[in-house]
Amino acid sequence: MKYFLLALAALTFVYPFIWMLSASLSAESGLGDLTLLPEQFTWNNYVTVFTKIPLGRAFLNSAFVAIITTGLVLITGAMVGYALARYEFVGRDWIFYAIIFTMTLPFQITLIPNYITMVRLGWIDTYLALIVPFSLSSLAVLLFRQAFQSLPQALIDAARIDGAGELRIIFQILVPNVLPTVLTITILTFMGLWNEALWPLIVIRDESTMTMPQLVTLFSVGGRAEGQLGVKIAAAVLLAVPVVILYLFFQKHFIRSMASSGLKD
Amino acid sequence: MANVTLTHIAKAYGNGPTVIRDVTIDVRDQEFVVLVGPSGCGKSTLLRMIAGLEDITSGDLLLDGKRINDLPPKDRDIAMVFQNYALYPHMTVFENMAFGLKLRNMAKADIRERVTQAARILEIENLLDRKPKDMSGGQRQRVAIGRAIVREPKVFLFDEPLSNLDAKLRGQTRIELQKLHRQLRATMIYVTHDQVEAMTLGDRIVVLRGGDVMQFDTPLTLYNRPANRFVAGFIGTPPMNFLPGQVRQVDGVRCFITAGVAMNIPITDVAQQTALTPYVGKLVTLGIRAEHLTVVSVNEQAVPLPVRIDALENMGNEALAYVTMGESRLVARLSPTDVLALAVGQSATLFLSTAHAHFFDDETELVIR
Repeated sequence: MKYFLLALAALTFVYPFIWMLSASLSAESGLGDLTLLPEQFTWNNYVTVFTKIPLGRAFLNSAFVAIITTGLVLITGAMVGYALARYEFVGRDWIFYAIIFTMTLPFQITLIPNYITMVRLGWIDTYLALIVPFSLSSLAVLLFRQAFQSLPQALIDAARIDGAGELRIIFQILVPNVLPTVLTITILTFMGLWNEALWPLIVIRDESTMTMPQLVTLFSVGGRAEGQLGVKIAAAVLLAVPVVILYLFFQKHFIRSMASSGLKD
Repeated sequence: MANVTLTHIAKAYGNGPTVIRDVTIDVRDQEFVVLVGPSGCGKSTLLRMIAGLEDITSGDLLLDGKRINDLPPKDRDIAMVFQNYALYPHMTVFENMAFGLKLRNMAKADIRERVTQAARILEIENLLDRKPKDMSGGQRQRVAIGRAIVREPKVFLFDEPLSNLDAKLRGQTRIELQKLHRQLRATMIYVTHDQVEAMTLGDRIVVLRGGDVMQFDTPLTLYNRPANRFVAGFIGTPPMNFLPGQVRQVDGVRCFITAGVAMNIPITDVAQQTALTPYVGKLVTLGIRAEHLTVVSVNEQAVPLPVRIDALENMGNEALAYVTMGESRLVARLSPTDVLALAVGQSATLFLSTAHAHFFDDETELVIR
């Protein structure tokens, strides 16, 4: 009974995705049914997507923006998290609370001020507008801070005596010992950036700089799909696939925990 | 050459309490000095200050006459072994040991040679490719020591390195540390709360309490001539027995009268008589080691004490008798055959010779000599 309920729940989550896959491979006329297998199998929807919009270019834009930004988030998050976890300075706790507070603000609230800042900086229609505002993540700071606090101080002391500077301590000693945290932040940040459509819609108008979700959104709701549902769904599948692959690949890393195996607490 | 000199070293956290009050010690070249004391006495803090991991609030720290208060740890030419080993979990044993050398831009071949040599000394050559998590506690501790050795530092610092090992391994490693010290001829400063470790390893021992140095001397001097009641009670297993009482002049003889049962113990030693002259009528404490309480009178001056046997522990090579006299609890180290005549719950007589007794001022706790 327990397994039946679990299976039912799993099916509920998975079904829409499976339908999406099968629909994207069906001919337009077969789209009405709620089936699990494609009706009148065809690749046509995908061919149409690629001929109508520069999806390859958008994919590269998305990948570029997501990879660079995730890298920056990891670097800045580790540095700020380390300072908050291991340094004693006036106002440390207040800075930490302020960073946590920003997590509670919905993105939409800061949308307008951020947009104005981008305009003033002249970053509209550039990658900078897509990267810089997201290069420091409060979630990454929080997770790194917690992870670093759980490591023993002796590890840092030993590295200091060995002659390591603070940056080396962070990136060569501490970060390799919190890989589950690094992976969590990487996956969450990457997925968030990859799926972000609203912000690019606001700061990017030039099609050659557009990211995939933006392009797909414009394509689907902007009329260029000419009401063809199958084509829209194919575009959505292409948008989802990289994230799904990334998640499947890193899933197992969540379980494996290096923890503090070289230390006895 | 490596002399470490601490002059009037003090440490306070912000406006908080003073952790180290005023420590002045001089560690000679190639000496093995142990910092010992109960938890919270400041011994680890002191070691971390020498390492450069804690700021020094006031006083001077000299290495070979050069003031190093403000030098960062990496420039002090010291190496440290930590209680929890602090090996880098993601690196192999070789990488752990080579890390500090790499950061000093040493040539790869030299690094390999030094690591191999240290591994040979510590007999961990077959572990060089392992990660810390695949090793036992004892092996990890060897690697931690190896990481210090390869640096060839002027001074080795040890922060309770044996306390995570089991008793048997601790004994073995203690002997190996002695050997290592002779082999490397390096200056070593060692922190422990275990007085047996301190007694067996140290050329000299610093006994600390509440951030103050209680006594700094050789192990045997600490044992035989403790400077105060704290050192007398801290060094030695079982700890020294203490009897509270008063010095009085009885029938022309200077006596120690124990509190409670009012035993009259004549003081026969001339030097002790002289030393105790200013204390006539005052409260003092008599201290006597467990081995100086006997079941037979060793000399004419020995005073019989009426005691009640609370517990007996016969280890085969020696035996401990836990007894009470009035309010005072005492422990006597007896021969395993002597103890056979005693029975728990019964009365017995133990002899105390004042020649072996120490007297402590009740107010200052200092020894009266």
